[in-house]
Amino acid sequence: MTDSRQSRARAEISFVVNGQARTVHAYPMERLIDVLRQQLELTGTKEGCGEGECGSCSVLIDGVLVNSCLVPVLQVQGSSVVTIEGLAAGEKLHVLQQAFLECGGAQCGICTPGMILAACHLLEGRLEPTTEEIREGLSGNLCRCTGYRQILEAVAEAARRRTAA
Amino acid sequence: MNSEHIVGKSVPRKEGRDKVTGRSQYVDDMVLPNMLFGATVRSQIPRGRIRTIRFGPGIDWDEFVIVSAKDIPGKNCIALIGDDQPCLANEFVNHPEEPILLMAHPDRHLLPKAVGAVSIDYEPLPAIFTIEESERRDGIVWGEDNIFKTYLIEKGDVDGIWEKAHHIVEGEYSTGAQEQLYIENNGMIATFDAAEGITVWGSLQCPYYIHKALMALCDLPAEKVRVVQMETGGAFGGKEEYPSMIAAHAALLAIKSGRPVKIIYDRMEDMAATTKRHPSRTRHRTAVSRDGKILGGEIDFTIDGGAYATLSSVVLSRGAIHAGGPYYWPSVRIRAKAVATNAPPHGAFRGFGAPQSLFAMERHMDRVAREVGLSPLEIRRRNFLKPGQTTTTEQVVREPINLEKLLDRALEVSDYHSKKQRFEKENRCGGKKKGMGVAAFLHGAGFTGSGERYLSSVVGVEGCADGSVRVLVSSTEFGQGTKTVLSQIAAEALGLAYENVSIAQPDTLEVPNSGPTVASRTVMVVGKLVQSAALGIRQTLISSNLLRETYTAGEFRAACQNYVAAYGQFRSWSRYEAPADIFWDDQKYRGEAYAAFAWAVYIAEVTVDLTTYSVSVNDFVALQEVGKVLHPLLARGQIIGGVAQAIGLSLYEKVVWQNGRMQNCQMTNYIMPTSRDLPPIRVFFEELGNVYGAYGAKGIGELPMDGPAPAILNAVEDALGVPFDFVPLLPEDIMDGITASSQASFVGAAGGVR
Amino acid sequence: MRSNPSEYEMAAPGSLHATVSLLAREPGVWIPIAGGTDLMVQYAAGKLPSRKLVSIWNLPELRRVEVAAREIRIGAGCTYTDLRANQVVGGEFPLLHIAARWTGSVANQNRGTIGGNIVNASPAADSLPALLVYDAELILVSVRGERRLPYASFHTGYKKTLLAADELVRAVCLPRRFAGHFSHARKVGARNAQAISKVCIAALGRLADGVVDDVCIALGSVAPVPLRLTETERTVRGKVIDSDLLLLAKKAAATEIRPIDDIRSTARYRSAVAGNLVAEFLNRLNSERIGTERGGAKEVLAKWNCLPLEKAMESILPCCGSQAWVRGMVARRPLSNESALLAASNETWHNLTPADWMEAFRSHPRIGESRPDDSLSTQSRTVQSVEWSAQEQRTVADSEAAVKIALAEANREYERRFNRIFIVCATGKSAPEILDILQQRLRNDTETELQETAEQQRQITEIRLRKWLQG
Repeated sequence: MTDSRQSRARAEISFVVNGQARTVHAYPMERLIDVLRQQLELTGTKEGCGEGECGSCSVLIDGVLVNSCLVPVLQVQGSSVVTIEGLAAGEKLHVLQQAFLECGGAQCGICTPGMILAACHLLEGRLEPTTEEIREGLSGNLCRCTGYRQILEAVAEAARRRTAA
Repeated sequence: MNSEHIVGKSVPRKEGRDKVTGRSQYVDDMVLPNMLFGATVRSQIPRGRIRTIRFGPGIDWDEFVIVSAKDIPGKNCIALIGDDQPCLANEFVNHPEEPILLMAHPDRHLLPKAVGAVSIDYEPLPAIFTIEESERRDGIVWGEDNIFKTYLIEKGDVDGIWEKAHHIVEGEYSTGAQEQLYIENNGMIATFDAAEGITVWGSLQCPYYIHKALMALCDLPAEKVRVVQMETGGAFGGKEEYPSMIAAHAALLAIKSGRPVKIIYDRMEDMAATTKRHPSRTRHRTAVSRDGKILGGEIDFTIDGGAYATLSSVVLSRGAIHAGGPYYWPSVRIRAKAVATNAPPHGAFRGFGAPQSLFAMERHMDRVAREVGLSPLEIRRRNFLKPGQTTTTEQVVREPINLEKLLDRALEVSDYHSKKQRFEKENRCGGKKKGMGVAAFLHGAGFTGSGERYLSSVVGVEGCADGSVRVLVSSTEFGQGTKTVLSQIAAEALGLAYENVSIAQPDTLEVPNSGPTVASRTVMVVGKLVQSAALGIRQTLISSNLLRETYTAGEFRAACQNYVAAYGQFRSWSRYEAPADIFWDDQKYRGEAYAAFAWAVYIAEVTVDLTTYSVSVNDFVALQEVGKVLHPLLARGQIIGGVAQAIGLSLYEKVVWQNGRMQNCQMTNYIMPTSRDLPPIRVFFEELGNVYGAYGAKGIGELPMDGPAPAILNAVEDALGVPFDFVPLLPEDIMDGITASSQASFVGAAGGVR
Repeated sequence: MRSNPSEYEMAAPGSLHATVSLLAREPGVWIPIAGGTDLMVQYAAGKLPSRKLVSIWNLPELRRVEVAAREIRIGAGCTYTDLRANQVVGGEFPLLHIAARWTGSVANQNRGTIGGNIVNASPAADSLPALLVYDAELILVSVRGERRLPYASFHTGYKKTLLAADELVRAVCLPRRFAGHFSHARKVGARNAQAISKVCIAALGRLADGVVDDVCIALGSVAPVPLRLTETERTVRGKVIDSDLLLLAKKAAATEIRPIDDIRSTARYRSAVAGNLVAEFLNRLNSERIGTERGGAKEVLAKWNCLPLEKAMESILPCCGSQAWVRGMVARRPLSNESALLAASNETWHNLTPADWMEAFRSHPRIGESRPDDSLSTQSRTVQSVEWSAQEQRTVADSEAAVKIALAEANREYERRFNRIFIVCATGKSAPEILDILQQRLRNDTETELQETAEQQRQITEIRLRKWLQG
């Protein structure tokens, strides 16, 4: 781009969010988390630290877990994004959401969307993860309330149910 | 009546579904039309006089709403206990990050640069940063003598026991600041309307604290201030008093601009500017008999309150009262003081003074054991409080607590003895040393002494048109299960299904003041009021002949529907009444400090790696007597979460200070445990009941914070034979301690080829 | 978020050629950004040095691994997840594989790239010591073409590199000559995940005829750049590893490193731990040689460590009847000694769910009987476990009739109350003692009793593991 004023304008960025094609007009360096929360009004993704440490902003881009506070929205062009709002099928909860409810995996709830997506990503790659694998898979998601135990139990339970189903 | 009990079952979390689907509304999720974003200009120095404020070039200042102390309609203070903390600094600043100006703009992205463009010229004044500097009074930074508050607790004849003592054991123990690190930062939204007054929505624990503060700040009557709690992403005390400050700021900007204003802190600002756990220093001097019994002693307990008084006097009180631990002191003198330094004010954090003084007590007991020549277990057995004996404040232990048996059970489930045997053998060679540590403690639930009477909490229960009931409390949910357990209690009291009870969002327009959500009082104290208010609803229906004395859940719903149809929505209120047999003397600081104590024994197993000097906790047993467990899953979750937070305090969470400012104010450098850092935390309960608590419950939210730090440090000493008496204890400290220690038999990691 | 997005531009030319052309037109102006895990943190803090960025995320020319006979070429745009998934990296360059696991979190590994880490040039970066010991070479690219240089020369000072203003790192080349080396890596951070290292070591070694034939040691976080300990290597090469050599090596390391005090740690600590890490590496290198010579419990374990999955599971099942426990233990192989075995068992056990615990419980016979209830799962009951149960309950079998009857009664009451048989670690306990315990535990609530039973099972498992180690 040669016209610097033009290249500092908003860009048209098209990507799929929770199965729906969306187009946003955003500055290329707007963070994906801000575009999701503000323009697309998907406030389920949370900001806890803004530095990629807490994992509360975790989403899936093309099936891969990332911290959306570290992703410039321009780089999402043509991709498929899944947020917490995309997990449940209408009123039917995802097996992880159900397990979190039954195993006490959510207390204050602020880390929960990111945690569930991280667990989702883990379970996509591993049929029956060991406790160690679950701990490693979630080690990028900080929780201050639960001490993690009931979260690990929820993920193990979800894995079991999914295998049984 | 529903014959199946609801209390005691792990019913689904009331707001759980919204939390797992991302539908819960936290303050930053809310957007109001025409809304502005607010930001704060803060002091860059620890203490000084403001000379000039310049608004620099490159910013279109006309677009910004600017607020200073001069814009405050009422009193420039955050009303709490004393009124010494300004809402905005006027002429003087007393700590780094102290708020001076506020600004607002429709585009939140313009704010950081604008804040940076305000240059403030100060005349610096000498500042102090440690308890010792404050005590020395080289500089006076608060009041006449830097002392916010003192307490003196005296029992028996302390001066007379020294000559009878066979051992006199002294020790000094300290704890550092700790950041609450709720994953959701502080945030508020405020609107102002000349007719309606101020409304704020935010992340908070105590709506009525904010209500009181805004009334004084804005010079408004009670009915013109409204506070609404939104879903709150963690609090731990960090949102007990601080939110009044950010609410005040949002309110002032809303008043000046006439538009809604949202202020959300980012992580760096939240960590640097808001409250932390009070650093502490405790000195023990104890007279012990030949056979290891405490004859008496002196305890000197000092906490660093930061620049303003805020809640330091209450933290001090709780710390002082718990300073003697679960032991029988025939005589004791506890001198407690809270002192001022030029750091941002320290504040409420789970445990609230007790983790600090109990850390000292439990480390000290191991020292006493060593000097007397008894094991850490035996020294405790010989000194445990027994029913009929009195605490340090002369409160008689009236319940049949058997601390020895509690200890026995903890030892059994932790496999303490066989591990100790095994470690003794294994520690002789190898680069890893293992140890076991015990901590025994008590935790008083509810407000101290006359606190609950002073609060005079009120609870309401409402009968609704659809036959359900709704609980009305100002007690907030922030993960600990308030909504769930209070609904359980109401359902149980009325024989209704759990699903037929709802609980109102805490909104000062809708709910009475049931007191702050602190001090582990919600289930025990507020729960009991919910129980009686619920029974009031039942009584109304029975008195109106719409319901018989015994009824089914269906009959209740019908009766309620009929009542509302005939007379409209109805409410039953219940106000706290202090039990007739609880006496506390505020002058002598003596008597029944708390309606109920919970009791606990925690045991830690640690490994110290001599290659890296790091400590890992391999197993942790948390055994506590809690009256009654009303919701097993929630209770277990609270204990595990609290222990995890306390492990953070013990081994990871160091606040790095420089001239009163927190340097490591990012999550990269302030280290809290991840899922890979924590051991299995095994939780066990005992239940002795509690006549003063709903369905026999005592408070449990804070007690898990008391035990882990001393248990872990006792275990480290067991492993290494080197004592450490401060937390957080980092590998760097262990390395220094080992190097300094004169134990010549100590073999380092690479002392030989294996 | 302290930057204003409207003030920033991002170009996304989409090809390597177009990218280097842009860099050549305005050198030093456009910051290449791949996954952004470093740059976006700076951006959020308001600290990016330029307002213009060029996205090189997912450029096909950069995000591939080429395997040739003598070397592999890892594209600079490969993420840490790409590295973890690559077989050649995992098989021949384990130090890089391990470092990839250490880096940040899974989410950050999915975006962070090896090229980004190299260019960011933090001396604390996890993979850089591994690149040093593997004698990596970098391929740099610009409009002027490609050039290749030894990675060892790339860092010239704290966050200063030889990268020209219009250049990109294109690939990292690793020679394929380390397959026979013993490798060792360790990171010392403030916690077990998501930690910037205080010190870290990557090392390779090979012994021949009892002496150190080849050794490569590199450390992170002990100097302004990632550091290869060439002096220490020289001190150690050609020598026998004994306690004297360890001291010499530590001394040499101490002279080479230049650690500092910073917000994370102290120079003193880094110095001491660096020395310990070097010594630990040399010890382990030495043990490799000795390890195969020992027998006994170590032999049992060594054999078990190498068994195929099914056989390993079958072998350890008698110790504890929970399939999840068995799977967890097998997943933790290799386990080096009894201590590690027992620690693994305890941790695995504590992390199981109540359902798994129940499965273990069901594998026991009722105390006082010799056979487990046939109506329950037979999967977790083996000939060996039946035999061990019999040994454990010997005192009960030999006790007086009256006590036996009382036990049977109490057992039945227990089963009515808790819906499973009563379990206690019976070894060393007399029948009357067991009866007493049973009666006490009858008074527990369900949750407490579950925890008690789990603890008893854990003790039983430990005893059985020790027997198992005796072969």
